[in-house]
Amino acid sequence: MTEKPDSYEVAVERLEQIIDRLDSGQAGLRETLDLCGEGRELVTYCAAELDAVGEGLKELKLDELAAKLSSSAEAGTA
Amino acid sequence: MRRRARVLLIGEVTGVGRSKVQAYFELRDGEGAVPCAIWLDDLEKAGLPDGALRDGAEVVIAGGPDYYPGGGQASPSFSFRATHVRLAGEGDLLARLEALRKQLQAEGLFELQRQLARPLLPKTIGVVTAETGAARRDLLAGLERRGWRGTVVWAFAPVQDRHAAPAIAAAIQGLAAQPQVEAIVVTRGGGSLADLWAFCDETLCRTVAMLRVPVISAVGHERDSTLIDDVAAVACSTPTHAAEAAVPLDCVAARGSLERGIGSLRRAAEAAVAARTPHLVSLARGPARALHREQLALNQKTREIRAASERGIAERLGFQRRLATVVLERARRRAAGPDMERRREALHRAAVALRAHQPERTLERGYALVEAGDGEPVTTVGAAVAAGRVRLRFADGNVGARIEERE
Repeated sequence: MTEKPDSYEVAVERLEQIIDRLDSGQAGLRETLDLCGEGRELVTYCAAELDAVGEGLKELKLDELAAKLSSSAEAGTA
Repeated sequence: MRRRARVLLIGEVTGVGRSKVQAYFELRDGEGAVPCAIWLDDLEKAGLPDGALRDGAEVVIAGGPDYYPGGGQASPSFSFRATHVRLAGEGDLLARLEALRKQLQAEGLFELQRQLARPLLPKTIGVVTAETGAARRDLLAGLERRGWRGTVVWAFAPVQDRHAAPAIAAAIQGLAAQPQVEAIVVTRGGGSLADLWAFCDETLCRTVAMLRVPVISAVGHERDSTLIDDVAAVACSTPTHAAEAAVPLDCVAARGSLERGIGSLRRAAEAAVAARTPHLVSLARGPARALHREQLALNQKTREIRAASERGIAERLGFQRRLATVVLERARRRAAGPDMERRREALHRAAVALRAHQPERTLERGYALVEAGDGEPVTTVGAAVAAGRVRLRFADGNVGARIEERE
């Protein structure tokens, strides 16, 4: 896999396709190894998405978010 | 009397009846009742929900006193002629809500939010609710249970007074303006319709309907139906359900599923390699085995060739021998054959001729052979005289004879 999936949904759908293909037993050795490699990358991606923040659920107030965004925008322009 | 000032009356409807042109009823309160009538045209203009003018309904009517002079068959009577009617209290709110609902639906505002794609796993969700209250706690607990580890952006707003609707609309718009907010939950606990009325506000509902970020409403309890439920992408009965709607993916289950996916991939890779290993090993051994097989085959061929050549030589020798015999025989026959035949024929002819010349044959015809004493034929007179004694040989035997004289 060379491209990052567009979304978790896309990644999971592709992963299911890969596992179905592997389960079918019809893939040749080269294809199997390629699919396994791609599958591992997708799993890594999905796991990262599931742990998007990594530190558990985070809470922000709208005002704080807006302030954070405007300060980072200023930092970006500075 | 019909020109008297018009008044509003409020009370409970009882004894509803209809003629072809009017509806009759009594409007009752704790003090008593007043007979009322309303033309069906006016009743229709009031736009009440079907069956709203029924026994027990609280209504407000506008109109004035009326007098019916009666006739030959009918008694005169006083009554209150209502020209307007609307439901009172909660009934009134419900009627207004129903009218607004029909209007927004007719404008297609119920469909807009439902057509939006909702992310399976949003990273950030916005929530509009009261800063204090069970709804906030329940929503958080629902998200935690989902195993979700994203960010909640709170936009607190009053959820019950007359300032509530504009504040809620502003909070929703503020959240929708943040690009990372992928879904917005609007929630509060249960209450009376009047308590929840802010969530039926026309401006608020129009605002929600036009947003491009999906809004999940969880206002009141299951039996409560506010207008924001109709325009939102999803309407939930509780904050806990709203958490599930905001994060459709059960992250706990998804992690388990991913682990199974990793297991499947590992097994597939191992199985693919394992299934091919024996073949690979046999292929690796193949060249030596093939060489051995070829060696055996070569030896066999060598033996076969040798045997064949020996057999060939013997056969050739035998053949040549047979050929030589035949050739020699033919040559011998060629060399001797015609001569022999000739001789054989000559012999035959000689035999025939000989037979023809045999003396016995002549004797059989009546001749006699004269032989001397030594058996020599006597063929002349002189010899006969000289011999003196001869033997006459006939076909059937011999006799001796004496030559006496020459004649």
